[in-house]
Amino acid sequence: MSEPTAFDLAGCLQRVRQRDQSAARELVEQLYPMVIRIVRAHLPRNVAEEDLSQEIFMKMFTRLEQYQGAVPFPHWVSRIAVTTCIDHLRTQKRRPEFRWADLSEDEAEVLDAVLTNESDQAPDDALAARELVNKLLGQLKPADRLVLQLLDLEQKTVAEICALTGWNSSLIKVRAFRARRKLQKLFQELQRKERS
Amino acid sequence: MNPTDRRHPWSRLVAAARSAPDDRDPAAPFGFSTRVAALALSAPPRASFSLMFERLSWRALGVACLLMLASVIANYSAITRPPDEEVTMRDPIAEVLELES
Repeated sequence: MSEPTAFDLAGCLQRVRQRDQSAARELVEQLYPMVIRIVRAHLPRNVAEEDLSQEIFMKMFTRLEQYQGAVPFPHWVSRIAVTTCIDHLRTQKRRPEFRWADLSEDEAEVLDAVLTNESDQAPDDALAARELVNKLLGQLKPADRLVLQLLDLEQKTVAEICALTGWNSSLIKVRAFRARRKLQKLFQELQRKERS
Repeated sequence: MNPTDRRHPWSRLVAAARSAPDDRDPAAPFGFSTRVAALALSAPPRASFSLMFERLSWRALGVACLLMLASVIANYSAITRPPDEEVTMRDPIAEVLELES
C-alpha cells in the first residue's frame, strides 16, 4: 500500500500565483479542515458556515500577493479566518441577554448542576454544556470570546494563540482576564437569580 | 472564586463541553473547492499596493521627464540668448530717495 504523498504547499502556491485552477482547488481542500474548525468555533448567529468559509478563502486568494512568508502559510490563513469571524461577530452588535427562561430544559439542568454542585465533577450532558458555553461566550466581546474559546475550550497555549491570531501575549492575557471577569459577574448574577 | 479554578462553574462547564462529540465532517463539501477556485481565479488579479505604487511611480517619472523636456524646448531661445548688455533693474527705494531729493 502506498503512503499518501506529502502536500507540496510551496509548489501549490507557486502554481496558484500562475492562475492554475487545479492548484487553487487543492489549496482550498488542504486548508478547509483548519478554516472550518475556526469558523465553527466562532460562527456568528444567522451566518452559514459555508458562506463564511467561502468569504475567508476569497480573501486568502485576493491577498495572496501580499503573503511574504514571514509566518507559515496556514497561520497566515488562520489569521484571515479569525479576523473575518470577529468582523462578523462585531456586526451583530447587540448580544442577546442571557436569561434562564431562554435555556432549553437540558441546558437549564446543566447550568443548575454547575451552579449548585460544588464538586469538581463535570456535568453529564456534554452537548447541552457545549450549547450553554456558546451562549455564555456570546455575552462577551468578540475578541475576548475568541481568546477564551481557544484557551479554555480548545486548550491552546498563549503561544499557539499568538501564532493563530497575530496578537501579542500580553494582549491575549488581558483579554482572557477581562473575559473571565465578565463571566464571573455573569455567574454571580445567575446564582442570585436562581436563589430569588 | 476564580474561573480558572477547577471547581468554578465555568471550568466544570467547559470540561463537560469539551467532551461533547463533534461528528461534523471537517472535509470540504462537494463542489466547494471547485466553486471557490473558479470564483477566485475568474476575477482579474488584484495588484498589491507596493506593485501599484511602483507602476504609478514609473509613470509619474515618465510624465515628469516629458514636462521637463517640453519646458526646455519652449524656453530654448531664452536659455541660449546671450544676456542683455544693459541690465535695467528698478530699485524702488532708490526711486523714492531720488524723488525726495
